[in-house]
Amino acid sequence: MNRTKKLVASISTFLTRRTSHPSSSSTLRFNPLATFATNPQTNLTRESLQPPPSPAKPLTILPFSGRAFCSESCDKRSSSVCWNCGFSSEKAAFLFCHSCRSIQPVDDSVDYFQIFGLEKKYELDGGSLEGKYKDWQKKLHPDLVHNKSQKERDYAAEQSAKVTEACRTLTKRLSRAMYLMKLNGKNVNEEETVTDPTLLMEMMELREAIAEADDSKELNQIQSQVQEKLKQWSDSFADAFESERFDEAVNCIRRMTYYEKACEEIVKKL
Amino acid sequence: MMLRQAAKNALGLTSRQSTPWSVGIFRSYHENVIDHYDNPRNVGSFDKNDPSIGTGLVGAPACGDVMKLQIKVDEKTGQIVDARFKTFGCGSAIASSSVATEWVKGKAMEEVLTIKNTEIAKHLSLPPVKLHCSMLAEDAIKAAVKDYKEKRVKTNGAAAVAAAGETAQA
Repeated sequence: MNRTKKLVASISTFLTRRTSHPSSSSTLRFNPLATFATNPQTNLTRESLQPPPSPAKPLTILPFSGRAFCSESCDKRSSSVCWNCGFSSEKAAFLFCHSCRSIQPVDDSVDYFQIFGLEKKYELDGGSLEGKYKDWQKKLHPDLVHNKSQKERDYAAEQSAKVTEACRTLTKRLSRAMYLMKLNGKNVNEEETVTDPTLLMEMMELREAIAEADDSKELNQIQSQVQEKLKQWSDSFADAFESERFDEAVNCIRRMTYYEKACEEIVKKL
Repeated sequence: MMLRQAAKNALGLTSRQSTPWSVGIFRSYHENVIDHYDNPRNVGSFDKNDPSIGTGLVGAPACGDVMKLQIKVDEKTGQIVDARFKTFGCGSAIASSSVATEWVKGKAMEEVLTIKNTEIAKHLSLPPVKLHCSMLAEDAIKAAVKDYKEKRVKTNGAAAVAAAGETAQA
C-alpha cells in the first residue's frame, strides 16, 4: 500500500516536473509507468527525467542543448547519439533519430549529397532533387513543427536552412562542381590572381562585346554562345573530375565562373 | 559568416547605382568609391603594341572580374607619364583600378612597385570581403611594369642583334 502511494506520488511529481521542463516534453512517447515499475526507488531529484530505454546503457542526460551533448559523445567515427532517448547509431542520423523520431541538431559530417540520397558525382537528375527537397521541407517546415518543443523547433529551423542551402548548391552546375571539389579536399575559391593572357583576353573581349551590344537580339546571340561554352566546359569538368585530373578541373571551374559572370551581366542588360 | 554573405549580396547587386544602399544593409560604399565610380578617371586604352606602353591584364577567379591597367613610360627617364584602365567587375574593383592609375602617374617604375593593396584599400575604406579587389589592382600595376620591361628587353635585344650584325658586316 505504501509502495503504491509512493509510486503515485513519484508519478505526479514526475508529471509536474515534466511540464515545467520543456526539454523533456518529448518524452510523451514512452511510458513513464513502465520505467517506474522497474525503478520504484528512483530518485526524482534529477533535473531532467529521461531514463534510458535499455538498462544496459544508463545515460546521464544533461539539461542543456543537445548539440553540446552530441559533441561530447560524438567521436571521429561520426556516430551520433540522440539527445532525447540516447539511441546511438553508427551512421550519422540526419534529421530524425531512428529510435524516437525526435529532430536532431545539424550534423556537419552529413554532406549535401547524403541529404538527398544522391551519389557524389557531377551528373545530376534535376527532377529528383526538386522532389526530395519538397519532401524534406514538408517534414521540416517551421509551421509544421509548432507542436514540438522549442529545442526541436530550433533544430528543425536549422535543418531546414541546411536543406535549402544544399538544394541551392546542388542545383546550379558551377556551385555543384565547386562543392564536389571541396568534398575531395580541393578548395577552388582562392584569392590567387589569374594571369593567363589568353583566358583574360577572351573574357575582356566578351565583356566588351556585352557592354557594347545595343539590342536584345545581339545580347541573346551572345548569351547562347556563352551557354554553349558553359556546356562545353561543364562536360570537360565532368571528364577531368572523373579521371581525377584535379588541376584541369580547377581550370574548368575558373572558366565556368567567368562565363557565368558574363551571363549574369547579359541578364542584367536584357 | 552571415555578415559576409549579406555584404557580398548587397555589393554584388549594386553594379549600376551610385547611391548608397538604403536601410537594412550594414555597409554602404565609401564616398571615395562612389566618386571613382561616378567620375572615373583614366578609363580607356593605349595601343598595346606601342613600345612605350606596358599592359597588365589580371583576373580574380573567385568573382570573375577582369582588370586591365596600362602605363605609358618615358623611355629616357623611366617615369610613368600616363595610365589607363578598363575593369569589368564590382564597384570596388573599378574604384581600386581607378585609384591605381592615379597613383602611378608621375612616379618612377620602381616606386610604383611598392604600392601596396592595403594602401588602396585604406583609401577606399574597403570592407574585408572586398580586399581582394585592391590586391587585384596591386597585381595589375606589377603586371604592367613587368610587361613594359619585357618589351624593352625584346626591343633592346633586337636592337643589339641588329647592331652586332652591322658591326660584323662592317
